Amino acid sequence: MLEIRDLKVSYGDHTILDGIDLSIKAGDKLAVIGESGVGKTTLALSIAGLTQGKMQGEIIFNGRNLLQASETELNALRWNRFSLVLQNVQNVLNPVVPVVQQVAEPMVEHRLMKKKRARVKAAGILMQMGLGTTRHDSYPHQLSGGERQRVMIAMALANDPELIILDEPTASLDALTRKEILRLLQEIGKRRALLVITHDISTAAKLCDTVAVLYGGKVVEKGPAPRVLGSPRHPYTRGLLRSYPNMNTVKDLQGIKGRAEKPSKGCCFHPRCTQAVELCREIHPDFSGEGEHILACHRGGIVPFLQIKDLTVRYGKIIAVDGVNIRVYEGETLALVGESGSGKSSLALTVMGLTKTTSGEIYLDGQRVKNREKSFYRRVQMIFQNPAESISHRHTVLQAVREPLDVQNQGCDGARKEKVRRALEEAQLPSDDNFLAQYPHHLSGGENQRVAIARALVLEPSLIVADEPTSALDASVQAKILKLLLDLQQKRGLGILFITHDIALARKVSDRMVVMLGGRVVEEGLTEILVARPRHPYTRALLKAAPDLDFARRDSEGESVEAKPLSRPGLNISGVGGCPFVSRCEWAVSQCMREKPSLLAVDRGRVACHRARDLGETVAKLKESAAL
Amino acid sequence: MHVDYLKELKQNNAGRAGLITLVLILFLVLIGPVLSTHSPTEHSVATLEPPSAVHWLGTNDVGQDVLSRLLAGARTSLLVAAGTAFLSVSLGAMVGIISALAGGITDRILMRFTDAILTIPAVVVIIMIAAYIRPGVFNLIIILSALGWPVGARVIRAQALTLKERLHIYAARSFGGGMLQILFHHMIPDLTPVLCVSFIQGARRAVFMEAGLAFVGVVDPNLISWGVMLRHALEYCYLDAYKWWLLPTGFALSVTILAFTLLGYCLEELTDPRLRRWDNA
Repeated sequence: MLEIRDLKVSYGDHTILDGIDLSIKAGDKLAVIGESGVGKTTLALSIAGLTQGKMQGEIIFNGRNLLQASETELNALRWNRFSLVLQNVQNVLNPVVPVVQQVAEPMVEHRLMKKKRARVKAAGILMQMGLGTTRHDSYPHQLSGGERQRVMIAMALANDPELIILDEPTASLDALTRKEILRLLQEIGKRRALLVITHDISTAAKLCDTVAVLYGGKVVEKGPAPRVLGSPRHPYTRGLLRSYPNMNTVKDLQGIKGRAEKPSKGCCFHPRCTQAVELCREIHPDFSGEGEHILACHRGGIVPFLQIKDLTVRYGKIIAVDGVNIRVYEGETLALVGESGSGKSSLALTVMGLTKTTSGEIYLDGQRVKNREKSFYRRVQMIFQNPAESISHRHTVLQAVREPLDVQNQGCDGARKEKVRRALEEAQLPSDDNFLAQYPHHLSGGENQRVAIARALVLEPSLIVADEPTSALDASVQAKILKLLLDLQQKRGLGILFITHDIALARKVSDRMVVMLGGRVVEEGLTEILVARPRHPYTRALLKAAPDLDFARRDSEGESVEAKPLSRPGLNISGVGGCPFVSRCEWAVSQCMREKPSLLAVDRGRVACHRARDLGETVAKLKESAAL
Repeated sequence: MHVDYLKELKQNNAGRAGLITLVLILFLVLIGPVLSTHSPTEHSVATLEPPSAVHWLGTNDVGQDVLSRLLAGARTSLLVAAGTAFLSVSLGAMVGIISALAGGITDRILMRFTDAILTIPAVVVIIMIAAYIRPGVFNLIIILSALGWPVGARVIRAQALTLKERLHIYAARSFGGGMLQILFHHMIPDLTPVLCVSFIQGARRAVFMEAGLAFVGVVDPNLISWGVMLRHALEYCYLDAYKWWLLPTGFALSVTILAFTLLGYCLEELTDPRLRRWDNA
C-alpha cells in the first residue's frame, strides 16, 4: 500500500532523512522509534507532503508516487486515503472552532456529505472516541490533553482512511489516559494500517507488529516487534531500551553516550557506538539479517565478546565447573549468581587463565583463546573478591595501580602516573601524591576495593570479570562503585561478568542472569524475566532468600511452595547422576534422582529442571487463587 | 615512598644494639692490623702475662699477644659467617623457589634431595670431613654451606608455596605478568623476611660452627680462630692466666652471636610492613 524507497529529505545542507526504505501493506502496523531529532516527524510529514525540505526518492501510495503528485492530487488523498495525527495537539487544532465542527471539517471539505450530516457523523465518531456530547461544542482550550488527542484521532478517522499516521500519539499523556488512547488505537488498528511514530517503546510494542528503529535519518534495525524489542541486536536499539523507564526492566537506567550528531561518513551511529571498528568509521553498513529481522551493522549487531563453550574444570575428583556455556555480549552485564561453592569463582579464574581448563573452549571477540598472551589481559581484567589480599602489602597505591601498566609496558613513566591518577579518580578515590604513597594496610576495606577496581580499569579493558567486587563495601560505597561500572559500560561498552551470591544486587546491574549450582547452569535468561518468573526451584529459593524491605513480612510466611526449608546445603558429589538440587528440592521426583536435567528453552531463557513446566503452572495457579 | 631501612634500623633498639655491635666488630677487624702493635703469630718470651701497657690483654703460652689474636680471630669468624650465610641462603633460595614455582616432578626430586641432606647429622659429618681435610676459611665456608642450605630451602619453599596462592600473585598474573615479574615484584620482596632471617641464622650458625670445629681442633692448625684460642686457654685453666685469655675470647664470641641475633630479629620486623610500628612514621 505504502512503499517508501530511498527517501531523502534535507533542509538546506542539513540532511534529515538519508535513504529510508519502508513498506506498509494493508492492515500492517508499523512503528518507527528513535530519540528526538532522528527524523521521525520529518518522515511523517514527508509522507503527507507537508515538509518544506527538498525531497528525493519515492513515496508510492497505492501505485502513485506522492513526491510527483500535485497539490490537488495530494489533497484528494489526504484525509480520504490516509490521515495524519500530528504531535503537539495544542497548536494543531483551531482554537476558535468547536471540536465537533473540526472533526466534521474533513468530510465537508472533501464534499463527502453535507455539513449537517457531517456534524452528526462527527459527533458519532467523537462518542466512539469516548468524548461525551457535553464536550462536543467545546473549544480546544477547554479540553484536556487526552481529550484533544481523542479529537485529533476522531478527525483522522472522519473520512475512513486506509492508513493513519500517528506522530507521538501518547506523548505527554498521563498513564491512565495513555492506556485509554492505546485501547482506542488498538481498536482502530484492527481495520486499518497504522504508522506509529514514537519514542515511547511501550506504545510501539502495544500497537504495532513491526518496529523500525530510526537513527541519523536511516533505519538501523527493523523486524517483528517482539524480536526487535525483546532481543535487540543493534547497539542503538539496546541503548533505547536501556534508557526507557518501564515496569519490567530491573537494571538501573542507562543512556547512550554522546549526542545525536551526524558523522560526515561511516555508520551514522559510530560516534556513539561502543563496538565501532575502523570499517564503521568509513562506510555505512547495508542491511543484513535473516528473515524479517534485519539490521544495518558491520558487526552483525551486538557482538558476543566472551563465549564459553562446554567448559569443565576439575580439581582432582571434584568437578567445580561442569559443562558450562555462557556468552557475555559487548556492553552487557551478565550476572553469575549462586551459593558459595557453586563454581562461580572457579569459572572466573578459568576465564582469566589462573586455573587450568579441563575441557572446553573460550572465545574472546570471536577468537579462540588458547595461550593467554599479554594482549588478552589488556582486554580482560579481573576484580578479585578480597581486595586487601589482591594487592601486595609491599606495594603503595601507586605501585599497585601502576603494575598492570608496567607489565604491559604502556607509555613512559609520567604517562603511567597520569593514567594511575585518572583511574583512581574514576574509582572515586583521591589521586594526590599523599594517597599514592599509602600502603594497603593504611586504607579501609572500601578504599582497598576501589584501588583494586582502579587497577582493573587502568588498562581500559573491554571486559571485566568481577568476582564479588563489592562484598567488602558498605551499601553506599557499593552503590557508587556499581554506578561507576555501569557508567563505564555506557561510555566504553564495558562488558561485565558480574559474579555474586547477592541476587538482589545482580538484579540492579545485570541485563542477563545465569544461575549456577554444583558447577552447572540451572537457569539463565533476561534478568527481568528471571526475577519475575523464576522457573527453577533453586532460583526461587535464592530470590526468596534475597533481602527485601517488606517489613510486614517475616520469613516464616510466604507461599506454600517453599514450605520445606533448605537444609543440607551443598550436597554435590561428583559422579552421582541426577539434578544437583535434588536433595533440597521438594518438587523432586524419581526422575530427578536418575537423570541430570538439561537446559531447555523457556520464556526467552533456559532452565534445567525436569519439573519446570509443572512448577510454572502450579505457581501460576497459586497466584491466580491468591488473586481471587 | 621508599622505606629507609637503615634509618628504621637505627630507630629500633634491638636493631641499633645489634647493628652498632656488628659495625664495631667490623671496624675493629678492619683496623685490627693497624691497632695491634704485635703480630698475632709472633712468639715471644713473655708468656702467660697478665694485661699490661705493652700487651693490653696479656699474652698466651707461647707469648703471642691475645688482643691481636682476638682481632684476627674476629676476621676469620666474620668471613666464615658472611660467606657461609650468603652461599647457603643463595643455594637454599634457588632450590626453594624453583621447587615451589615449578611444582610437580621437579619439586619432588629437589625436595627429596633436600630431605636426604637434612637427614645427615651435620655436625658429625662436618667434623669427619674437617678432620680429614683440615679446612681453612675457604673450605670451611664450602663445607658449612654444603650442609647448611637445606633448612633454608625448606623454609623458603614453604613460604613461596603460600605466596604462590596469594591473591596478589594471581592478580599480577591477571595483568599478564610473567614468571620474572612475579618473582622480582612479588616473590622476592615477600620472601625478604625469610631470606634475611635465613641469612642471619646462617651467619650465627657459621660463627658457632667455626668456633666449635676449631675448638675440637679439626681445622687448619694455622687458622687463627676464637675456637682455637678457647681450646688453648682451657689447657691452662689451672693457671690464673686463663681468665685473661679465656674470658675475652668467650665474651667476643657471645657478643658477636648476640649481635647477629638482635639484628635478625629487628630485620624481620622491619621488612614486614605489617609488623612495623607506624607511630613514628
